[in-house]
Amino acid sequence: MQSTRPHHRLSLAHREALWAYAFISPWLIGFVIFTIGPMLASLYFSFTDYDIVSSPEWIGLTNYINLFHDELFWHSLGITLKFALIALPLNLIISYLIAVLLNQNIAGRNIWRTVYFLPSVIAGVAVALLWARIFDPKYGVLNPFLERFGIHGPGWFSDPHWALSALVIMSLWSVGGNIILYLAGLQGVPTDLYDAAKVDGATAWQRFRHVTIPMTTPVIFFNLVLGLIATFQYFTEVYVISVGNTVGGGLGGPARSTLFYNIYLYQNAFKYFHMGYASTMAWILFVIVLVFTLLIFRSSNAWVYYEGQLRGR
Amino acid sequence: MKKNLFTILTLIVLASVLLSACGGSAPATATEKKKVVIFVGMGTGTDPDQVDAQNQLAQKFNSTHDDIEIEFLIVPHEEYATRYLAMLSGGNAPQLVGPNGISTVAEFFDTWEDITPYIEAEKYDLSDFYGPAVELNQYPQKNTGLPLGLYPSYIYYNKDLFDAAGLDYPTHDFNDTSWNMDKLRDMAMQLTLDKNGKNATDPDFDPTNIVQIGYDDSWDGMRGTLSTWGAENVGRPTTADYKTAVANSPEWIQGLQWISDGIWKDHFIGSAEVQAGRDSAGVDPFGPGTTGMFYSHTWFLAEGLHDLSFSADIAPFPYNPKGERVARIDADNFTIPKDAKNKQEAWEVMKWLTSPEIIVDVCRIYGCIPARKSVQGKFLEQLKTDYPGIDYDVIFKSIDYLDNPNNEAWIPEWGKIEDTLNNSLSLVYTGTETDATKVLSDANTEVQKILDEYWAKQP
Repeated sequence: MQSTRPHHRLSLAHREALWAYAFISPWLIGFVIFTIGPMLASLYFSFTDYDIVSSPEWIGLTNYINLFHDELFWHSLGITLKFALIALPLNLIISYLIAVLLNQNIAGRNIWRTVYFLPSVIAGVAVALLWARIFDPKYGVLNPFLERFGIHGPGWFSDPHWALSALVIMSLWSVGGNIILYLAGLQGVPTDLYDAAKVDGATAWQRFRHVTIPMTTPVIFFNLVLGLIATFQYFTEVYVISVGNTVGGGLGGPARSTLFYNIYLYQNAFKYFHMGYASTMAWILFVIVLVFTLLIFRSSNAWVYYEGQLRGR
Repeated sequence: MKKNLFTILTLIVLASVLLSACGGSAPATATEKKKVVIFVGMGTGTDPDQVDAQNQLAQKFNSTHDDIEIEFLIVPHEEYATRYLAMLSGGNAPQLVGPNGISTVAEFFDTWEDITPYIEAEKYDLSDFYGPAVELNQYPQKNTGLPLGLYPSYIYYNKDLFDAAGLDYPTHDFNDTSWNMDKLRDMAMQLTLDKNGKNATDPDFDPTNIVQIGYDDSWDGMRGTLSTWGAENVGRPTTADYKTAVANSPEWIQGLQWISDGIWKDHFIGSAEVQAGRDSAGVDPFGPGTTGMFYSHTWFLAEGLHDLSFSADIAPFPYNPKGERVARIDADNFTIPKDAKNKQEAWEVMKWLTSPEIIVDVCRIYGCIPARKSVQGKFLEQLKTDYPGIDYDVIFKSIDYLDNPNNEAWIPEWGKIEDTLNNSLSLVYTGTETDATKVLSDANTEVQKILDEYWAKQP
């Protein structure tokens, strides 16, 4: 006997979709509550005068207008851009070159790879403390080393003219993450391309220039985008190095030479209690990073090569 | 059926994960005790020994009180602002905060409860507290707490370095007006040595290779450092109505120029580079034995006067060029956040912590001088045991010369103005700008702008 009851069963695709949502729901709910929620809250606060103690007071675009008249806002943005312009290309180039070297058949290759990767797993606080000691003009190891060559080393973190350079050098120590990605990219370059280039008489440099680099541009692109975002969020190392240095002017010192954007944002939020203003800074930062990222994405058509993809398609 | 059961189980697991992630832990207790959480981390109190001592103090209180239970919440000093603000904004304010210095009272000034109604309600007797200690907590808007301890300041000096230099020790006579900033400079220059053993008065002195420094006051910011120079507003960079910046007063300029010359001309004060070297080595200015005189507070007794490899003593801070002595002071109290629950219980605990029976024990933990006159004798005996061989009179007499208005006291936009002034101080210490007039004129302009913006927003 056949059932006359109508079928209300979901299709397989719908059921799979529901299960998928069920399984990702813990993350999804967490993302909405702990990321989207605070983001929306900060967007609202950016239009208010809010000091945590009192209720937020709606002031419209005042924070945004004030920000553009704030000298320290421009100063901190300048410091961050300067750091990004120097540190980011250096990080990308040096990590790429090291990856190329580590991709060669050299003795103890795995050990070298481990050695270069290790610093990148060390927490930012430890890195900062370690390098503060290395750069120390009196008790550190760098200046005595320079003395051997007749160079009188600067005060590094205590010298406003050298503090940013010291941070750039420090950032180069943690290129291990980039190296691993580059290595993966380098190992994915088809060997038949090199063989074909050799048959055509290409030199080692030409093979590197015209095969290796183009074939690894997707990884370079990936590292560039992530590196840009990380550079604009630079905070921990500067905080650790400058926070307790009273005669250096404290956070962002000496003499505001390391007053990065995020340091100034932190000061506004947690030292001056201008939460609304700090939220405005956060959203401006978001927009700046978004614009740079979009520019990089837009430019990628011109220089990123995906195997099997026709240009412009 | 199986599928439905599986779906229900999945939902239960998800719900329990969410609830356990979001839910607070509030186990029911058999007692009806009300909780008073004491937030520690704004100042001292986070060293392991201090944590143990505070836990013992909590046990002592909890075993003798049926209605209130206290708990010390220890927060790393680096995180005090973010943790405290997170607790406030989350509606979970601690009941008490302390030991709280004048600076952190000022930093979070708007968050504190005014305890005047509590004092008036039970006519609480304040007469046993040192008068200045009470005044330091009293602002036009509110009284922030009962005084706990005072930290007067004076010169710590290394007797061995004075002996080696053939110098007399600084006088301990508070009436000796010849002990002034000029004399301090002269002594400090003779105590400053380069690697060849020449002192800073020697024409062949090598300032690029200094191994011993004559004088150090690097642990205080601009306001603290210049509060001793006799300006009308002492340690406050504004007029009494907080509307006009006076950071470029002649006295402050004179004081900052004295420091600038001390670093770059006379070389008896270490530059930022020297200070950074010491900081990265994790040592205080006095402990390594290469600083002749260190200007600091009583809290340095607990932090730095143990296990010295040389003999040391203390002397009054010198007279300033106006013939006045101002020795800056720090003070601690416990404050009640105005958004806290159980505020009446917090007030009871505040009274207990500052009571004559307990205050000496509490101050021993934090290194302060008890703010009660009646326990001075008991505390002195304790000092003699803990720090034998120093002139205890200097500690107690220095209280009479405190800075008022205090160098850490509240001003509008406290944090922002502090950062502005300390940045200016860093210009001098780093050698970026050594002309004190220029540094303080620029700072004054910046401070005035901050004040104008603040007052423009006030109703």
